[in-house]
Amino acid sequence: MTTHQPTHAHPGHAHHGAAKSTWDYWKRAIVWTVGGVAAGFAIVFLARWIFDFENLWVPQVYWSVCASLAGLGFIIGIGCFDWWWAYMRGKQVDLEDHSMHGAQKWSDYFRPNTDHKVIGIQYLVTTFFFFVVAGILAELVRLELAVPGATIADGETYNGFFSAHATIMIFAFVIPVFGGISNYVLPIMLGAKDMAFPRLNALSFWLLVPAGVMLVLAPFVGSFSSGWTAYAPLSVQGTTGSTLFEVAVQFAGASSIATALNFLVTIMTMRAPGMTVWRMPMLAWAQGVTSGLVVFGTPFIAGSQFMTWFDRVMGTNFFNVGGGGDVLMYQHVFWFYSHPAVYIMMIPGFGIISEVVAAFSRKPLFGYRAMAFSTVAIALLGFGVWAHHMFVSGMPAWLRFPMMFMTVVIAVPTGVKVFSWLGTMWGGRLHLKTPMLWAMGFVFTFLIGGLSGVFLGVLPAVIHLTDTYYVVAHIHYVFFGGSVFTVFAGVYYWFPKITGRMYNERLGQIHFWLTFVGFNATFFPMHWLGAVGMPRRVADYDERFASLNLFISLATSGMVIGSLIFFYNMIHSWAKGPQAPWNPWRARSLEWLVSSPPSLFNFDAVPQVVGGPYQYGIPGARHAVVFAGEELGGGELVEHERRTILVIANESVSSAALLEHIRERANGHWRFTMLVPVEDGNVRAAERRLQQALSVLAAEGVDANGSVVSGDPLSAVRAAVADDEPTEVMLVTEPLGQSRWLNQDMVDRVRKATNLPVNHVVISAAEAGRPAVSKAVNTVAVIANDGLSGDGVINAVQGHADGGPVAAVILCPLSLDGPGWTDDAETVRDAAAGRARDAIARLQQAGIPARGEVIDGDPAEAARIARDSYRATTILVASVAGRGDADVVETVTQAAAPVPVEHVFVETAPPAL
Amino acid sequence: MATDHALAHPPGAVPQKKPISQGVLAMLLFIGSEAMLFASFFTAYFMVRYNVAENHWPPLNQNGEPFELPKVGTGVSTAFLVFSSFTVWWAEHRLKHNDRKGLERGLLVTILLGITFLVAQINEYAHLGFTPADKAFGSTFYTLTGFHGLHVLVGLILLTICYVRVKRARDFTPTFSTPLVMASIYWHFVDVVWVALYILVYLV
Repeated sequence: MTTHQPTHAHPGHAHHGAAKSTWDYWKRAIVWTVGGVAAGFAIVFLARWIFDFENLWVPQVYWSVCASLAGLGFIIGIGCFDWWWAYMRGKQVDLEDHSMHGAQKWSDYFRPNTDHKVIGIQYLVTTFFFFVVAGILAELVRLELAVPGATIADGETYNGFFSAHATIMIFAFVIPVFGGISNYVLPIMLGAKDMAFPRLNALSFWLLVPAGVMLVLAPFVGSFSSGWTAYAPLSVQGTTGSTLFEVAVQFAGASSIATALNFLVTIMTMRAPGMTVWRMPMLAWAQGVTSGLVVFGTPFIAGSQFMTWFDRVMGTNFFNVGGGGDVLMYQHVFWFYSHPAVYIMMIPGFGIISEVVAAFSRKPLFGYRAMAFSTVAIALLGFGVWAHHMFVSGMPAWLRFPMMFMTVVIAVPTGVKVFSWLGTMWGGRLHLKTPMLWAMGFVFTFLIGGLSGVFLGVLPAVIHLTDTYYVVAHIHYVFFGGSVFTVFAGVYYWFPKITGRMYNERLGQIHFWLTFVGFNATFFPMHWLGAVGMPRRVADYDERFASLNLFISLATSGMVIGSLIFFYNMIHSWAKGPQAPWNPWRARSLEWLVSSPPSLFNFDAVPQVVGGPYQYGIPGARHAVVFAGEELGGGELVEHERRTILVIANESVSSAALLEHIRERANGHWRFTMLVPVEDGNVRAAERRLQQALSVLAAEGVDANGSVVSGDPLSAVRAAVADDEPTEVMLVTEPLGQSRWLNQDMVDRVRKATNLPVNHVVISAAEAGRPAVSKAVNTVAVIANDGLSGDGVINAVQGHADGGPVAAVILCPLSLDGPGWTDDAETVRDAAAGRARDAIARLQQAGIPARGEVIDGDPAEAARIARDSYRATTILVASVAGRGDADVVETVTQAAAPVPVEHVFVETAPPAL
Repeated sequence: MATDHALAHPPGAVPQKKPISQGVLAMLLFIGSEAMLFASFFTAYFMVRYNVAENHWPPLNQNGEPFELPKVGTGVSTAFLVFSSFTVWWAEHRLKHNDRKGLERGLLVTILLGITFLVAQINEYAHLGFTPADKAFGSTFYTLTGFHGLHVLVGLILLTICYVRVKRARDFTPTFSTPLVMASIYWHFVDVVWVALYILVYLV
């Protein structure tokens, strides 16, 4: 394994020239955007005036030119062309100019950046913003459809809702979000320092921004109601909204093409030595094939939108039958892109799922080559089925059968994929972490989407089902249950790599189940609605569909709440989550062999690829040899160079004593897999302890990961040995006589079961409670007296612990009125100490290391002690519900400044004293 | 150190060939994309011509006469454009012999020929006597030739940048000339598209 934490400076390339602040770029962008609008007006006006047109004011012409020039102006102004402009003028430029590379501070994410990792994050954040916008529009659609009749919108507005929902989701979320994920991980997976064309990469992202903004603005500036397919002649009759849509599609298309070219060249030319195409991770295959589709398909949607645009704005006759045009031609040209586009939106997801399924099943990917070939086959066949969207459009009848045949044939390579994923899972050791849940959920929902697709592909069924809610159900089963599920799988899977922090596993799983159930409850009934004849794209419907529609509208709340939890989890974990190890999933591909997040140029030296990426559980197999940088002494490091020590511990896993022991052993040569077997205890507590231990070790640079397993130590060890090939087992117990494991003769039994040397570490119960001191662990000080006796304090601290590893300090200020040596005072002191001891014990049971003291003094004194002696990061003041204590909180806040103080009320009866 | 493992898969298992330059590869793929853009307009053209007009082509205009295209005049400008492909090839060839003067002249002649073509095209537009709004014939004609004209303009900009680089930055050597190769490939593409367009739209 290599290397080091991010170094954000590259010695060879000091930043050139006067540093510009991000705000400077934006000021220029605003000037250029406004200038673009002004220039658009001026050009059109002058041209019409000079050439003596009768009508100087034709709004759509103005809007077209203004929108195009504004978008172009924005890109120039934000600085995408700065380097090229210098090049064009014949200046001496540095071809390897890295002055725009990497982000040192958060504002660097808001300017053009040539680092693929920064661009990946820019893409992801931007596209998820559009996901929210389009999601709100979807809720508006469901609100309108909740009951029959016009409720919140008339037909025209309703059409605007669903059109904008679909276009934003497709062009500003699903297509580019895969670009974001792949931008971040693909170059690292291939062993490259960056994409082939970093400046083009920056340009692709910034092209997306005006496209997205125009798509969002479109419904506000005039009727835009022809759906995302924008069929002529309806779209030809549209107004300003349609114009913006057409301009936006050109920008989004240019962005996709530029990214796709970049991916293709990167995949073709920048693979690490030894990475043959048959050793590429599946995501590289998928992204390569997708890029091929984008490069050769996207120009067709550009063409179709140019033609509708010209028809409406310039009065051309492409789709005007009266002028000799062909209205059906729109659908041919449009679907020739847009059918492959559904694979553009799906194939990268296939790649992500292949990564996730293999890593979490601990088995080699089943049928690697079949997977690769099926990806290519889907793409090739995808160009031959466009007219299955047009079975009832009145196209030539002879086209129907070949299109139907090809459509059904596509089920074969898709089936190969589904069976390969199932084959990978079959007999694997499934780790049901959030990414894997999304992957398995995806296989389930995508299968339903695929099957309903077969119905829509065969003529007898589709003539009945076309343009009904059956189609709506199908498209959402493949786009949401398909693409979006894979996006979530990918985001959770690579979140530790991208942010360097772990997400909250429990919230992730809640997000999955809410979405999964909400999604199926929303879209499955639509199959039925469609089959019995409810038409799509209509704001009103017959009474007999009312109850199901109300149910569907209510069921969407599952997805809404799930998404809110997702965003909370992402934002909170990014800011405050526990530090992530380099390789939390023990995956094999190259991105997991560098630090989280990776250093500025990913690798210190070019890695050498020596095997396939999915050789899980194959003895001696490995994917790549990674070299250490010169500052680390150079030389070759192998991923298996670091032998694994299996650490089995329970209560003591987060203790200072054990972590100290591990740190001494680590010494750069070992990696540790920590197993916490829980037979009948508190799993949450064990998870908190493990998380604490992993965070402390990660902060110290020790390579460790681990999991909580249910069952006895022996079965856990057997599983882990097969999984992980450890060279040694470290068994941590309490001293002889107190330890249940020793009573069961566990040391000997583990030795016999594994045939490995067992290192027996003894940690007493008292030692086990001593928390490790580390900057990775936040300290929460609890100032409370009577409040300690209930569960309220424990729950409050647990709430903090679920957000990241914390240690607790219980401070019990007595605030005695009289002298402290009286018998009375002694009784009070004893009672307080008893309560504190009790609280500490309960916290430790919950997996939170805790200590504490009773303080002869007032709460303000306790706050100062918490801040100065314990270096608390948060102070909780707990008071019994019903008692004000506002003044106490006030004094504590003042005394503890700048440490934040929270006030919790606990439900407890004050102890009888 | 697990050197024995490493030897089992010796480095360089992939034979090292001299790889194609990334820029040229990207340009070839981009040209594939551009070709598809023209393919979409040609699709429109053929569907209008063969499905709707049933090959009664050229159709009749408002005055009841068939549209007319200047085959001969455009043929001459076609010859200019084809010739410019050879001059840009010659410029590259001179660079291989390290003849910078020849490279400059070759580029300059190519650019002038390209401008000539564009001017001839604009002149043709001015004298055609029909507009993009005149039937689907006018629409497809102007869209195809207009998009081609835009591509000529882009090609000219690329060549001009190369010319500026040669003059002011002393760029390009016999061993490294990727930007120049990219521009010239693009120029050849623009040329090939025009020949196809001239045959399919003007002649056939």
